[in-house]
Amino acid sequence: MFKILKSLSNSLGGKSASKKQAAPAKPGSLLDKVNKGSPATKAEAPKTPEELCGLTPKMSKDEVMAQLKLLFRRYNRSASSLDAQTREQAEKMMDAIVQMREKHFGEI
Amino acid sequence: MAEYVGIDLGTTLSGLAYLKPDGNPEIVPNADGERLTPSVVFFDSHEDVKLVGSAARDGGEPDRTIFQIKRYMDDPEHLVDIDGKKWTPAEISALILSKLKRDCSKICGDINEVVITVPANFNELARKSTIAAAEMAGMTVKRLVNEPTAAAVYYAHSQGVKGRVLVFDLGGGTLDTTILEVAGDQIKILTSEGARHLGGSNFDDLLLEAYAEQYRKQTGTGLYSDERHRRRVLQATEDAKKMLSKLQRVNDTVANDQNSGIARIDLTRSDFEAMIRHMLTRTIFLVEQALDSVKLKPSDIDHVVLVGGSTRIPKVKQLLEKMFGKTPKSCGNVDECVALGAALFAKKSAKIQEVCNASYGTLAMIYNAKTKEEKLANSIVIPKNTPIPCSRSQVYQTSEDNERVIEVDITQGEDEDAKFIDVIGRITLEVPPNRPKGCEIAVTFSYDENQRVRALVVDKQSGRSKEVAVSYKGAGVLSPEELKRRSAHLRAMRIE
Repeated sequence: MFKILKSLSNSLGGKSASKKQAAPAKPGSLLDKVNKGSPATKAEAPKTPEELCGLTPKMSKDEVMAQLKLLFRRYNRSASSLDAQTREQAEKMMDAIVQMREKHFGEI
Repeated sequence: MAEYVGIDLGTTLSGLAYLKPDGNPEIVPNADGERLTPSVVFFDSHEDVKLVGSAARDGGEPDRTIFQIKRYMDDPEHLVDIDGKKWTPAEISALILSKLKRDCSKICGDINEVVITVPANFNELARKSTIAAAEMAGMTVKRLVNEPTAAAVYYAHSQGVKGRVLVFDLGGGTLDTTILEVAGDQIKILTSEGARHLGGSNFDDLLLEAYAEQYRKQTGTGLYSDERHRRRVLQATEDAKKMLSKLQRVNDTVANDQNSGIARIDLTRSDFEAMIRHMLTRTIFLVEQALDSVKLKPSDIDHVVLVGGSTRIPKVKQLLEKMFGKTPKSCGNVDECVALGAALFAKKSAKIQEVCNASYGTLAMIYNAKTKEEKLANSIVIPKNTPIPCSRSQVYQTSEDNERVIEVDITQGEDEDAKFIDVIGRITLEVPPNRPKGCEIAVTFSYDENQRVRALVVDKQSGRSKEVAVSYKGAGVLSPEELKRRSAHLRAMRIE
């Protein structure tokens, strides 16, 4: 397995390693280009907390908990963002994550 | 002179402790006779004086009173405008530190070198701002130490425990959870996890909403129409919250500032617990995250230690007791143990092994030769929980022929998915022309005892290299010259 050093801005110029480099971007602006945001921000936003959390009826309890923990880790981090919009989106996701935990595992 | 001094620069309360000749730490009261100083600053409009502490919290005009500045320590654009002068979060914090230094040095002697505590999840910029605040207040920061680490040091010192300890630190503004191992004098931190904007002030806000709703139901009008009155009611809700930690039911009366009548507020402990239930669920998630990150189960923890004023809430203790099957312990006064631990840490730091609070790495196209697939990912060089100080390297390859400039993004975060990490800096290195793709570039990250990161990029073929400490730009980030100038200005101020 090779690891090819890649600035995110350049990477977005093309997935192939042979493509020319894109113009450099400022740190911090890069992640915007890869749609740094919650599923809630996508054009066709899911509406239910299940959909927001990517939970399906076929998932086992362990799978649901693993998914919720993964999402908590991600959005707990985003909840500290300096960007107010990212923080707001993260809060919505955190609410959905907590709701799903209560639904599947009961209230604390 | 006080040789070993620790300062807890808290979101809502700050405290200073020093190590007495007998080796035990002691809190030093401020000039107002209080053991802890509210982290509030008031800029008076009549006299050239900055009030810090209870007087600032209880009396001032809202638009000249600064609360919870710690929450903005990592915001390079946050400035507080008072009479046209723009104050950075570091400067406001420096006023609080100055008050502590001036008041406490009258009791414990001159204070020059200090250990200051920070939340475990404070990022690079917040740590740098804290160091700058201390410098402006005329103190040298010997070390920054994570708040739960300081609390654990005090707990280990005062209780003489050994084994695995989980510190649950729920303060006014943040939650930190740290797991550590104690063996005699030696303390080894295993991991720390934190949540910003999760603390007692969030609970107060929820209670404020409940007050406002009951007021509206009884009088048909709003409870407050300006910031000054909102602050007053908020203070009442904080008092009610404290009462509900001791009583099952609390009654209060409130009035608005428009003479719309008085409402009787009726709150039960179970009402309050229902209000904060979602937030408490988050705290449980965070504890689980800490346990998972070091592959431990609740039964592997020997002691659960409570730190921070919000751990006085009975439900918090109940939840942890249920999770761990043992009664959580507090180390004396939950509001003071961080400062006390910081003073101990000032002397014992060599015996305390800390870890990286976050993973550091760079962005790379990871090519899988087997599947012939490649994807952009966060390639971690220093994993979270690596003992510090540390230095780690990873060799990468260039992706194109005749690549002239190598750009290395410095990432912070554990997630492999680039959408969920932060790019906190970049190194740009010029390399010789006419080289094929596949040239090796070594990326080395170093992490120091103050949890600050440096990055070094070396082109292995040409030997060219570049090293940087992560730095930030923004209106609130002061240059060394500006820092010096503002320090001199601040030292001449009247601060009470």
